[in-house]
Order: sequence, then structure tokens, then C-alpha cells
Amino acid sequence: MIELCNSTDVVEGEILRRDVDGLPAVALTRHEGQIFVFPDTCPHAEESLSEGWVEDGRVVCGVHFAEFELGSGEVHNRPAGCPNLTFFTCEDRDGKVFARLKEEA
Amino acid sequence: MTDILDISRPFTAYDRPADAETERAVTRFLNAEARTLDREAYQEWLDHFVDEDIHYWMPDMETRNRSDARGPYRHGDSAYFDDTLSELKVRVARFVEPSAWADNPATRHLHLISNIEVYETGDPSLLAVCSAFTNVRNRNETDQDVIHGRREDVLRRHGDDFRLARRRILIVQNVLLSKNLNTFL
Amino acid sequence: MTMCRGSCQGAGRPDMTPVYPTAGSYPDFARLVNRDTAQVDRRVFSDEAVYQAELRQIFARAWLFLAHESQIPGPGDFIRTSMGEDDVIIVRQRDGSVKALLNSCPHRGNRVCMVDAGSKARGFICNYHGWSFGLDGGLRGTDGKVYEKDESFEKAQIGLTPVAQVASYKGLIFGTFDPEAPSLEEFLGDFTFYLDIMLDNEEGGTEFVGGAIRSEIDCNWKFPAENFVGDILHAFWTHQSGAQAILGGGVDLGKRYDELAFQASVYGHGIETNLDKVGNTRTLGYPELVDYVFDLSERARARLGEVRARAIGAVSSATVFPNMSFLPGQNTFRVWHPRGPGKIELVSWTIVNRNAPERIKDLYRKGVMMTFSPGGVFEMDDGENWEYSTRVNQGFVTRQQPLHYALGLGSEDLERNLPGIVHKGSLNDANQRLFYTRWAEFMEHDNWADLQNGATAAPARTRAAAE
Repeated sequence: MIELCNSTDVVEGEILRRDVDGLPAVALTRHEGQIFVFPDTCPHAEESLSEGWVEDGRVVCGVHFAEFELGSGEVHNRPAGCPNLTFFTCEDRDGKVFARLKEEA
Repeated sequence: MTDILDISRPFTAYDRPADAETERAVTRFLNAEARTLDREAYQEWLDHFVDEDIHYWMPDMETRNRSDARGPYRHGDSAYFDDTLSELKVRVARFVEPSAWADNPATRHLHLISNIEVYETGDPSLLAVCSAFTNVRNRNETDQDVIHGRREDVLRRHGDDFRLARRRILIVQNVLLSKNLNTFL
Repeated sequence: MTMCRGSCQGAGRPDMTPVYPTAGSYPDFARLVNRDTAQVDRRVFSDEAVYQAELRQIFARAWLFLAHESQIPGPGDFIRTSMGEDDVIIVRQRDGSVKALLNSCPHRGNRVCMVDAGSKARGFICNYHGWSFGLDGGLRGTDGKVYEKDESFEKAQIGLTPVAQVASYKGLIFGTFDPEAPSLEEFLGDFTFYLDIMLDNEEGGTEFVGGAIRSEIDCNWKFPAENFVGDILHAFWTHQSGAQAILGGGVDLGKRYDELAFQASVYGHGIETNLDKVGNTRTLGYPELVDYVFDLSERARARLGEVRARAIGAVSSATVFPNMSFLPGQNTFRVWHPRGPGKIELVSWTIVNRNAPERIKDLYRKGVMMTFSPGGVFEMDDGENWEYSTRVNQGFVTRQQPLHYALGLGSEDLERNLPGIVHKGSLNDANQRLFYTRWAEFMEHDNWADLQNGATAAPARTRAAAE
């Protein structure tokens, strides 16, 4: 797992973008206390999800308004060809957020 | 008030079609009403086709996104008509004035009624009637206005005859493609 | 401007700044209004070239009515309307301010907002290629995954063209395409004194009843605008039938009708009014409304002074140049959008006091529907007059015949201490002459210093004295 930030940096209802060496940027949000980590790049038109917002337990892309359920990544209000979003496994450990960003051996 | 007379309610249950005899009688009523309006016999229309508690409503049809909960129309907002009998009488009073310039010389009217469906309701004295219409008005030399739409009527039985207790008129135009509405639909 | 073929400087980004014509690029259309003889040349109602010049000289420069604040109360609430023939979106921003945006994608020009109105919009996405714009009009992204890699494309510099200036006056939102235009308050000038009869007669201001009635009339836009700016004379003949239906008698306000009445004009905006308290309100046909307005008029005296308090429901009509009109006391509020020299789209609403009882608001809605709506007993007879006043000018010889606008020449009232250019009596062509004088000023002048200091500017009287 890769350390991303302090868990206090992840604020309820807001989206935080993190650049990770050698990997695509990731985004974090907190909803009802729980932290979620997902790719910052919308799978539809490759726009930044951190420029969108969280509404009713969904991440909303600010460009074409695709909505992804936090956790399952199921897409709603789906633009043509837009797949579900794949969320990363993450942990809040000793005040730090860790996530599994790629298959690890 | 019986729910079905509530003008803000669309018809929902279409599961009790009226018998053929009732359907024929209603069809005769609607055709006779159309012919009365074509003749501009507005006082006759009030006297013979319209009930005392008439609610006659034609909302404006807004263009809204499908996701918009408001929908294209809402009772209480802008409308072309939202009349009781006393208000219909005022409109008729203008039509009969010789100085109603938009009707003098006379407009040539045609009310085409079709797609008539008749249903029984929870109240044996009331029938729910759907129909579609084409209204054509031609004036002077080449002025022609055409309006298409649907009506949801509630007819009340009066012996062997009927009277109009409620009429919802939903036209297909957003911008009314006419300068006026010098008719009833 | 020639299109860049890819080899030009600056990484091939084309200059997107438009170039507008000036007054000098048109014939001298201002002379079609002859102030000395009080005649108007009929070509102003029928000529396509005049109309195209109007779209530039008037509708692309004047402040135009866009929306009432109450139509877009919250962030993302929007309506679509027109400025001249230009389609625009009026949208409330997240910070509560209002922006007006040209409703046309900068890519292929497609309309990005297709609906009349909506609430809580997230932005506007073009159906053609998925270009997405924020509430502020800025381009958020595209659909093709190709633009971001293309050197001709700089996202931050592309968006829906904003209307240059947007401002409100007591609930009414206006906009102008002209960045050089003076402030809205300067454009309205002392006419705000008269707007307040309708907009500020009670604490809380006004709101629009929901929805709107839209209709097409085959007439030139200036006929209805001049009708409302000062033509009460037509009511006696045109509207006999409607008055008979509602009031049980023709339009007859008695021999002394015109003694208290006056017309006032500022920069072509005009109001004609009597001081009979409830003349307009009576024609809605609901005694409850008459009682309401009598009471309102009493309460408004402290706020508006005696003259304006008596005008709240009086026989009266008004136009804000060029194409917004209303009837105090009858509460219809409308815009005449031009659609060519011989066609308009009329959009009308009912305006009510926000603090009025719900029952009163609904009676106004019904009263306006009965009178000034396509099925209304007054509006029905107006439309045909304006259509035929426009259409007969297809005749070549007919349109060479000047029109007579000379009623009340020399009737200026220099004693009455009211803002604007004031004329005695309301049976008078004075405001219509000043409306066309303003029209000619717009056709003639490119700079606002000339526009704001010509014959339509109000004489310097203090508003304080009037109040």
C-alpha cells in the first residue's frame, strides 16, 4: 500500500487530489466519516474528478455530470461509453491514509 | 369535491371502458359541441354543454428537461384559461359585441374531434373522456391558425344527456403560433 | 478576418474577437423619423435593412429586460430568453450573482440550452460534441479526448460569450451586449421614478407568477412598444368590446378624464397615466382586487407621494425602451422580442407584490389571463390592429405614405413638477414621438455621450421636488 496523505486532510464532502510518482493521480473524499480513494481521471472523457463534487453519496464529474457511487463505483447519469469507476482499497492507519493503487505481489 | 373533478389531477385509471351505447352518446355530445362552437353559438354552448361547476383549464406548455420535476405545466401558474362559469360568460360577452374587431368580420372556425375514449369513474354520474382535437381558424383572406391538442374531460350525466364539468386542454405548442385564441377548444 | 491555416504565429490560435458594424455603415435611417412634422416613415416597420440596423444599433447596445429575480432564486436556476434575436441563458451563480450567456457553443454554434427554464442546473452541455460549460459559461471539458492535446485549443480561453453587462433594478434583471454602455440606472434615468409605481409600492417588492405565456404576432415590434408607451387613445375604440364584457359599458371615463392625466418620457421610456386610483384594476373584473388596490394606494402615499400612490391602479401603460412593457394596476408585464421586421414573439407574465395575500396574487393571475393574454378580451383585439398596420406596408405606394404622430404637439407641461419630459393629458402622441426620437438617436449615434444628451434626455428637474 502507498501512503497518500494525513487522514485529517480528507474533509467530509470535499475532493482532494494527490499526485503519486509513476502512477495516475488519485482523488480522495470523506463521506459519513468513511474515506474513499479513486482515480482522479473520469473514465469517460478523462477529465479531473477532483474538479467535480460529491452529492448524495456519489462523485459527480464536473464536465458531463457522470455520477459514480462511492465504494461500488456504479455509474449513473451515464454519458455514452462511460464505464463504472474502480475504487481503490484504502486504510486509515495511525492518522495516515494508505491505498492499494496497483496489484501488489 | 370528487377527486376526478380536481383540475390539477391527470386521468390515471383507464381500466373501465364505458359500454358502446354510452360511448356513442358521448361521441354525439362532443360532435354537437364542436358544431356549436364552429357556428360561434357561444351562448348555446354555455347553456347546453357546460355545467354550473365547470372548470375549464388550458395551461401554457413549457419546454423543460425530462429530469425537471416541475414538468411542462402546473396548475396555479400561467395559463391561457383557468375559468369558472362566470369567467367563461365574460369571454362570451365580448364575442357578441359588434366591436369585437378580431371577430368582425367573422372568423371561419372548424373543430375536428377524434381519438374519443370514454371511461366509467368511481362516481356513476361522472364519465372520464379523452379526446384529441384539431382547431382551424381562418380569417380575412389568408390568415390561418391551427392548434392541435388533447382534452381530458369529465362529463356529468344529466338524464340522457351530458354536461361538461371539467376540461383540461393540453396543446402541443410551446409558443402559441397565433396572435390570439378567439375560440374555445 | 481570414481563417488561420495552421502556419500562423501563436501556435495557430485564431483571434475570436468579433468586429461589429457602426452607424456609418448603414444608410441614414434616422431621417425616417421627422421630428419637425411629427411624421414617421412606414419603412421603419417593414424594411429588412432597417430591421438589420435595429438589431445592431438598438438591440446589441441598449439595456434589455432579461428576467425577474424571482424566476431564478437559487444557484443554478436559469431561464432562456432573447436579446433581439440573440438567444441567451440567464443563470444564477453559486455566489448569488447573475450571469447572462450567449446560448451558442463556440465550437459549431449549436444551442447549448434547449429548455425555457430549469432549476439547480450543474452547467450546460452542448448536444453536438459534448462540450460542457459551467454556470459561469467557462468551458469545463469536451467529449473527444482530443482537444486537450491540440495546440489550437486553450480551454481557459473558450466559453459561452458573456453578455457584457448585467444589472438589476428592484427585481428586474437587465443586460446589455455593449461594454461601453452607461450603467443601467443611467440608461433608465429618471424613469425609475415611474417604475417604482409598480416595483416599489410596498415593502418586499414584486415577483412573477410562475410560467410564461408566449405567442407570435405578425407585426413589427415597435407597434406594441409604442402602443404601451403612450397610446391610451386606442382603448376607447379598440377595446369597446372587452370593456363592455367586463365592466358592462364601453371605455368611458367621463368628460374630465384627461384633466389629471399626463404623459412622461425619459430617454424614450414612457408612461401615460391617469390618477384615478383603480381604473386599470377595475378592468380585471374582480372587486376584491379593487379593494386591495384602494388600500394599497392609501398605504403607499408615505412611500411614493400622492401622485404615484394614485397611479398604482390607475388607467395607465408604460414601455421601457426598446421592448419591455407593463400595465400598472393590471399587472401584465411583457417583452416584444423582434423576429424579423414583420414578426414578434410576445412573452408575458403576471407581476404581483411579493407580500400580497395568495388569494390576491391568484386573482391577478386570473385577471391578466382574462384581459391581456392571447384569449384575453383586450389583447385579442390589439393583435389584429398591429398585424395589419405592419402588413399593409407590403404595398409599395402604401409604404411611401408617412404616418401621422402629431396629436398634442405643443402640449408640453412646464409647470408640473415631475421627472422627465411631461405632457398634459394622456390622449396625446407625445410619448410616441419621443419613442421614435429615441429610436432615431440609436440609429444615428455610435457613442453614448451623444445618446444620453440628446432630445430625449429629461430636463434637469429634481426628483426630490416631485416627491
